[in-house]
Amino acid sequence: MTDVIWRKPKHSQKRKRSERLKFIAAGVMILAAVLCLLISGTLQGARYFITVSEVLEGASYLGRTVRISGAVDGESIEYDSEKAIIRFEIVNIPSKYDDLATALREALLDSTAQRLRIVVEDAAIPDLLQHEAQAILTGALGADGVFAATELLLKCPSRFEESTAPEGLSRIPEHQ
Amino acid sequence: MSAEIGLAALTLAFALAVYAALASLIGARRGSAQLALSGRNAALLTFPAALLATGALVFALMTEQYQLTYVYSVTDPQTPALYRFTALWGSQKGSLLLWSLLMSGFTFAAIGLNWRSERRLMHYAIAYMMATLAFFLGLSLLVENPFERWWILPSAPAAEQVISTALIPPGAIAPAEANLRAGAEGLNPLLRHFGMVIHPPMLYLGFVGFTIPFAFAMAALASGDLSTGWIKATRRWSLIAWICLSIGLILGGRWAYDVLGWGGYWGWDPVENAAFLPWLVGTAFIHSVMIQEKRGMLKRWNMVLVIAAYSAVMFGTFATRSGVIESVHSFARSEVGFPMLAFWAAMTLVALWTLLWRWRRGELGDERHFANLLSRESLFVLNNVVFIALFLAIFWGSFGLPITSELLLGKEVTIGADTFEFYVVPLFIAMYILMGVAPLSAWGATSARRLGAALRTPLALTALSIAAAVLSGTDFAIALFGYGVALFAGYVALFEIIRGAGARRRSLGESWIQALTALFRRNQRRYGGYIVHLGVTVIGIGVIASTAFQTEVQHSVARGETISVQEYTLRYDDFLRAQAVDGRMMNIAAVTVFRDGVEIARLRPRIDDYPQMPMKIAGAHSTLENDYYVLLMSGDRERATFRIYINPLVNLVWWGGILLVLGTAIAAYPKVVPARAPAKREGGT
Repeated sequence: MTDVIWRKPKHSQKRKRSERLKFIAAGVMILAAVLCLLISGTLQGARYFITVSEVLEGASYLGRTVRISGAVDGESIEYDSEKAIIRFEIVNIPSKYDDLATALREALLDSTAQRLRIVVEDAAIPDLLQHEAQAILTGALGADGVFAATELLLKCPSRFEESTAPEGLSRIPEHQ
Repeated sequence: MSAEIGLAALTLAFALAVYAALASLIGARRGSAQLALSGRNAALLTFPAALLATGALVFALMTEQYQLTYVYSVTDPQTPALYRFTALWGSQKGSLLLWSLLMSGFTFAAIGLNWRSERRLMHYAIAYMMATLAFFLGLSLLVENPFERWWILPSAPAAEQVISTALIPPGAIAPAEANLRAGAEGLNPLLRHFGMVIHPPMLYLGFVGFTIPFAFAMAALASGDLSTGWIKATRRWSLIAWICLSIGLILGGRWAYDVLGWGGYWGWDPVENAAFLPWLVGTAFIHSVMIQEKRGMLKRWNMVLVIAAYSAVMFGTFATRSGVIESVHSFARSEVGFPMLAFWAAMTLVALWTLLWRWRRGELGDERHFANLLSRESLFVLNNVVFIALFLAIFWGSFGLPITSELLLGKEVTIGADTFEFYVVPLFIAMYILMGVAPLSAWGATSARRLGAALRTPLALTALSIAAAVLSGTDFAIALFGYGVALFAGYVALFEIIRGAGARRRSLGESWIQALTALFRRNQRRYGGYIVHLGVTVIGIGVIASTAFQTEVQHSVARGETISVQEYTLRYDDFLRAQAVDGRMMNIAAVTVFRDGVEIARLRPRIDDYPQMPMKIAGAHSTLENDYYVLLMSGDRERATFRIYINPLVNLVWWGGILLVLGTAIAAYPKVVPARAPAKREGGT
C-alpha cells in the first residue's frame, strides 16, 4: 500500500491572501454601488409630503414636485370624459389628527380652510374619488394656482372603517 | 351566545399560550421534562381554543348577529354567504383573530412533526411560538376584541347612550334587531373578488409561517444545539411560508389588476412592500441555507436572515396596521400600533442579543472558508447580497425615509413608484444574471474557462431569442436587454433539467419521461428550484412586456360607433341597466371587439352602484399574447366613454406565478420514504 501525503504548496498562503483581497474588493465595490443607487435615487425622487396650506403658503414649492394630501370636496368634481381630464378641489387637513374620517369631515365643514384646485390629465376617474375621501396627490403647483397632479391615490375611511357610534341604534324600538 | 363562547375561548387560548410559553421556557432552563411537557400540551390546546373562538365569530357572521360590532361593520343583510365567511378577514379585528388561529395551527403542526426528531430544540421553540401567539391573542382580547357588542345605556346622556364593549355593562339593553339590520355596513365592495377571498389568508400563512423557522433558530441559539438540526427542521417550514407568501403576493397583484382598474398590478404602496420585504429575506434564506447544509458555512448569516424575516413580518404588520405610514390600503388607524412596535422591538432585540452571545462564544464558526470568487457558494452569497440590497432599498423607500425625515426634519419625505423602479431594476438585472450563472458553477471552485463552456448553449439560445424578437418588430433596446437577462436565466434552468435527464437516458437507457421523473424524484429541491427559476423568468418577461409596451387610450363614442387601437376595433353596441341579487344596480355597456375585422369577443364592461361607491368592473379578452381590457368610464344609451388597455404578455405574470408555486411545492414535498413497520410510541402523553 502506498501512502499518499498531500503537502501544502508553498505559495498557498499567498494565494489565500490574494483571494481574500479579491473578496474584500468585490464586497466594497458592491456596497458602494448599492449605496450610490440608494442615494442618487433618493436625491432625484424625494418629495416632501405636505399639507394644502404648506404648498399654498410656501413660495418655494411653486413648480416643485411634491406630495400633498387633502379632503375631496364632492361637489367640485368634474370629469371631461372626452379628454380624460379630472378637475376637483381639495381642502386642507391638518398634518396631525386622531381619526382620519373625522378630520376629513371637519375640514370640509370648515369654511375658512384653505382650498386647492386640482387637475389630473389623461386619467381614468377613480371609483373612490368622492366627497370626504382623502386624496394623496403627486404633482406640482402651477403659476395659475392649479395643482397639476401626475398621481392620484384615494382613501375613503368614513365608508369602510368601523364607525364609533352609529346613529339610529339607540332609537327605542316601536314594540317596546 | 356566539359572543360569550367566542370570548371565553379567546380568553382560554390566551391563558394557555401564556402558560405554554412560560412552562416551556422554565422547563427547558431547569431541565424539568415534566414542566416542559405540560407546556407542550398547553401549546397544543391553544389550537382547538383558537379554532373555537374563530368558529364562534364565523358563526356570528353567517347567522347575521349584527349586535357584534364586527359583524355590523363588515356585513349587511344583502351580503352573500361566501363573503359573509370571507368577512372574517374583511377588517382588523377578524384579521388578528385569523392570524392567531393560523399561528396556533402552525405550532400544532410543528409540534406534531418535529417533537420527536428535534426534541432538544422543541421546548425553546414552543416558548418562542407561544410568546408570539400570546401577544396576538392579547391584542385581540384587550385592544381589538372581535366579540364586542353594541349596547344601549338608557340612563346615560343621549350622546353616550350607544357603546360597544365585550362585557355586558350593568343596566344595558341590546339595540333592536331592526335598527341593527338597517345600519349594518356591508363588506367594502373592493374586497368582493376571488383574489381577496384567498389573498389575505395566504399572506397571513406566509407571515405566520416565518415564525416557525425563527422559533427553531432561537431554540438552537438558546439551547446551544447549533448542529444542522435546526436547519433541517426549518428548511421545509421556510419553503411552506415562502410558497404561501408568494401565492398571497401574486393574488394581491391579480386583485389589483382586476379590481382597481388601472391596468397594473403593483404600485409600490407601503402595504404591498411590507408583504414583499419578508419574501425577499425568505428568498435569500432558502438559498443561503443550502450553503450551510452542503458546506457548513454562513451559520451566522443564516441566523441573521431568519431573525430578519421574522422581524420584517412583525415590522410589516406593525407598519401597515398602525397607520404610521400613509397607504391607499384603507386599514383603520388603531390602538394596536404602540404594542406592536414594542413587541417587534423587544423580539428583535432579544433575538439579536442571543445571537451575539453565541457569536462571541465562538460557537457559530464556519467549517470552511470561501476559496474562489466563482465557486457556487460565492455566487450564492452574491445572490444574498442582491436580495438584501433589494430589501434595504424597498425598506428605505417605504419606511426608512418617511420615518427618519419626519423625525429629523419634522416633514415627511417620500418617494414615488418611479424611484422604486430606479432602485429595483438594476438589482433585478443582477438577480437574473446570477440566477443564470450560479447553477452552472461548482461547489468549492470553478474555473472561468469551465464556467464559460457551460454558459455557451444558454447564451446562444438567448441570442437567438433576442434576434427573433428583433425580427418580429421589437425595437426597444431596454426591453430587449430585459428579455435577454430573464431568458438567459430561464434557458440555464431548462438546460440543466435537460442535461440531467439526458445523462440518465444515456447511462441508464431510460426514456425521456422516465428520466425526467426519476431526476425530479431523486433531487426534488434542486430541480424544483429550477422550475421556480423558470417561473421567475416567465414572470419577468410578463412584467417587462406589460410595462414597456402597454397601450392606453380613452375615447367617447356614440352607439354603433367604433374605437380602433392597433389591429383591434371596439364597437359600442348597447347600454343596459340591471339589478344584481344583492340589490346593487349595474350599468352595463355591451361591446364587440374585432381583430383585423374578425369578431373575437363580446365584452360587458360595467359600473356597479354600491351604496358606498360606484365600482368599475372591466371587461377583458384574455389570451396568452395579451389582454384587451376595457373600462366603461361613463355612459348612457346614446354615448359612452371607454378606456382601453392593451397589456401584452401580462398573463405570463400569472402563469409564471403558477410555475413558481409548482416548483416550490416539488422542492418542499416530503421525500417518499418506503413504508416501515409502525414504531412504538415513545415518551409524551
